[in-house]
Amino acid sequence: MTQYNSFYPAMIEAVQQTLENMVFMEVIEERGTPTDIPAAELTWSSMLINDPVQGEIRLAMPAVLLKKISGNVFGIDEEEVTTSQAYDILNELLNTIGGLFMTKLLPNQEYKIGLPSLESGKLPEADEHTVVWHLINSDEEPLKIYAGGESLLTMHTKAE
Amino acid sequence: MKRIIIADDSATARMFIKRCLQIVGLGDAEIIEAEDGKQALEAAKEEPADLLLTDLNMPVMDGQTLVKWVKASPKLCDMPIIVITSAGNPAKEAQLLELGAYRVLNKPVSPPMMMEALEEFLD
Repeated sequence: MTQYNSFYPAMIEAVQQTLENMVFMEVIEERGTPTDIPAAELTWSSMLINDPVQGEIRLAMPAVLLKKISGNVFGIDEEEVTTSQAYDILNELLNTIGGLFMTKLLPNQEYKIGLPSLESGKLPEADEHTVVWHLINSDEEPLKIYAGGESLLTMHTKAE
Repeated sequence: MKRIIIADDSATARMFIKRCLQIVGLGDAEIIEAEDGKQALEAAKEEPADLLLTDLNMPVMDGQTLVKWVKASPKLCDMPIIVITSAGNPAKEAQLLELGAYRVLNKPVSPPMMMEALEEFLD
């Protein structure tokens, strides 16, 4: 039987822990055909993993979901949320998710991660060196996490 | 009234920490927010605080450097410092504690974590 190491569940746990603690949102893995987020509605951020492996993690969600989260976090109406506030939350979520993910993968080893940065436009195409997690919240709103990079993905190995 | 400095380049992170502090009973503390270690250090020099909560990865002056500067200052060295980081691991935690940090917490910080870390401080 082919077994995978903790790479895949580690990210799900990192996202769930972060969202539950920071924005009181529960997410689960989306089953079936993943919900597409049209490019025009998309907001995403990326962060580099620098050491001891190299790669990139991206967090993507619909802009309306980010606004909803931001409104909840700041305790204000969604319409009052500024772009700066929303993007700061997105970056902080990715920063926390990324750090927690790496800690789960390398619990006793030092690692270096970069600072998250907001991106625009379409997400890069997922290639053979990318793992994608499709998640949804209780309102079935989608979030997606991407982990890419040949070096980072050496940690996502099969054990026969 | 307690004076608490929060150093983090993310406004969101500072807000989460403030929320935790409110929940654990420090809602009426005077909170000074700093976007980097240098700002935090200047705020502490202006008037020493009862507690410093700092992120690690910050521009201008990072959290580890901030800890070093605070602990090297005769005026500030007794100020307890809690480092709150998304990039924690046992080696880094040991390093920070060796430098004089009081506690190291990994993000996401929850109110129970904050309560436990501040137990002595809250008494």
